[in-house]
Amino acid sequence: MEYILQQFINALSFGAEYALLALGLAIVFSVMGLVNFAHGEVIAIGGYTMVAFATLVTANPWIIILGSVVAAALTSVLLERVAFRPVRYADPTTGLLTAFGVSIVLQNLFLLFVSPRPIAVTSLYFLDVPVDLFGIRISSLQLFETLATLVVIVALTLFLKRTIWGLAMQGASLDFQMVRLMGIRANRVFALAFLISGLLAGLACIFIMARRGSVDPHLGFNPVLMAFVACVVGGFGSLPGAVLGGFLLGIVQVAMLVLLPQEYGGMKDAFVFGIIALILVWRPNGILSPPVEKGDKV
Amino acid sequence: MTLSPTQRRGLIGAALLSAVLIAIGVLATYFGSRYQIRIVYGAYVNLLVVIGLQIFMGNARITNLSHSAFMGIGAYVAAICVTPAATKAISLPAAPFGLNAFSLDPVTSAIIAIAITALITALVGLFIVRMTPIGATIASLAVLVIIHSIFLFRTDIFKGNQAFFGIPQVFSLTSIIVVAVIVVVLARGFRESRWGVQLRASADDETGAAAMGVNVARLRLIAWILSGIVLAIAGISYAYFLGTISARPFYFNHVFLTLAMLILGGMRTVTGAVLGTFVISFGLEVVRWLETGPVVVGIDLPEVLGLSGVVLGLVIVLTMAFRPQGIMGDREIEDIFSKTK
Repeated sequence: MEYILQQFINALSFGAEYALLALGLAIVFSVMGLVNFAHGEVIAIGGYTMVAFATLVTANPWIIILGSVVAAALTSVLLERVAFRPVRYADPTTGLLTAFGVSIVLQNLFLLFVSPRPIAVTSLYFLDVPVDLFGIRISSLQLFETLATLVVIVALTLFLKRTIWGLAMQGASLDFQMVRLMGIRANRVFALAFLISGLLAGLACIFIMARRGSVDPHLGFNPVLMAFVACVVGGFGSLPGAVLGGFLLGIVQVAMLVLLPQEYGGMKDAFVFGIIALILVWRPNGILSPPVEKGDKV
Repeated sequence: MTLSPTQRRGLIGAALLSAVLIAIGVLATYFGSRYQIRIVYGAYVNLLVVIGLQIFMGNARITNLSHSAFMGIGAYVAAICVTPAATKAISLPAAPFGLNAFSLDPVTSAIIAIAITALITALVGLFIVRMTPIGATIASLAVLVIIHSIFLFRTDIFKGNQAFFGIPQVFSLTSIIVVAVIVVVLARGFRESRWGVQLRASADDETGAAAMGVNVARLRLIAWILSGIVLAIAGISYAYFLGTISARPFYFNHVFLTLAMLILGGMRTVTGAVLGTFVISFGLEVVRWLETGPVVVGIDLPEVLGLSGVVLGLVIVLTMAFRPQGIMGDREIEDIFSKTK
């Protein structure tokens, strides 16, 4: 029983992290139809900012965290301005390839200007302490992660439902032309989407860095791949879908770890992606995607 | 068989491209050092991959990210069949199904490799062709990861990231040029064929094409399998020249490299595929040389690791921003010489 509970909490915290990452992708996709593969590099920028702050500025972890979140948010907005504006109204494939390009450029810039080797960041270790909860031992990090994701979900929902800009962003995913006719500035909607996405990346960066304790040029690749998968499963462009997909992915991953025999451990990814492919066969656009007729004007 | 005017133009275009391919090959054979011939050979292998990619991506306009994995399947199957049993007894002592107890001649091995790759692409394709374009792209990414994990996991067959060695060197630069010419004619022929035209029409307007009686899923499947066959040929050519293969070259880095080539040249045309491959292949060689920090006109340049990656990424971003259709757009090589359509 305790073992099951333990694994359930593991699944929950993995799922929370994926949901956090997936939301960052989904919010951009819902507004401009862009699969932002450079999201992972935004996370890496956050990590490198931690290094820079920790060595040059201060040892205070809260300032380091703040700095990295701000850096990630600014980078995200900057990327929108520099790289993604020219492909704003292009088809999703063009956007996807641009994002791949941006991601390759940034990764190699880290390689060029920082170092190909991992750099250790020790200032966040204090977040990760063992806690006893109802008789089972878990990491405080798992707790923080799950809580942070829940707070983000509530805050994002309130923002999207209760504020003009939130409504504008929701409207933008349905009919952008109409939103502009209502007097909302297109540039601001896009910038806002990327700002939120950057903030989410910064938040995810804190947890990833606290767990790994080091940053290297390829830090963002795996997280963004998982986020991508979560978005796909949940339905691209749907924010509830991203959350659902994230938690589902966490559950599938932990289930694979628990259920697969030891010697098949290397096949975990193959099984996870196989399940993803099957879900896509069942619902080609993801579980929570809105129904679209092929003849519809998009 | 009567050819339509566009098909006749297609033949002329394929002939022109073949001439270019042969010319580059002849130049390399007569003036190149051993090292340079290896680079040119690599460029031709990538050319085969990019053309294989173009057959599906250019006609169906669905981005495929799994192509390097299919190339890997072709390479591994051919390598397992052709490597002498004595070598395999050392390198694959634990191989199941008696895979290390036989060896075949290169031609039979190549045919088996093509057949198996075609079968696997057909199975995958049955699912892929029914999805929306973006869904298919994502599923192809999943396929890439799955196949790569199998390569890494079954070290008793594929040796994972370690080198699978002892493949006899069957191909020379001349043989791959012959293969490349055949593949170019094939790709161009498909593009101008009834199937190719219908498929391109369905990419422009899926509902419209379907209403005109085009069986979109079936055509996509045909293009997908044809593309898989060409990718298998690319993989075989790769294994038959280098003599060693490993799982690493058939993963993300190679996917993006070849994708960048196709995008830069223009995925809608075979000419674009050829142009993009050569521009990036030879351009990257120059950048790699700069990366090592050479001395240029008396100035000692610093070593800059990662420069080639930055250039590659920038090529993708800038092409997408300023010329999403690629350099060639909708023009094939013969359209440059005669403007009238």
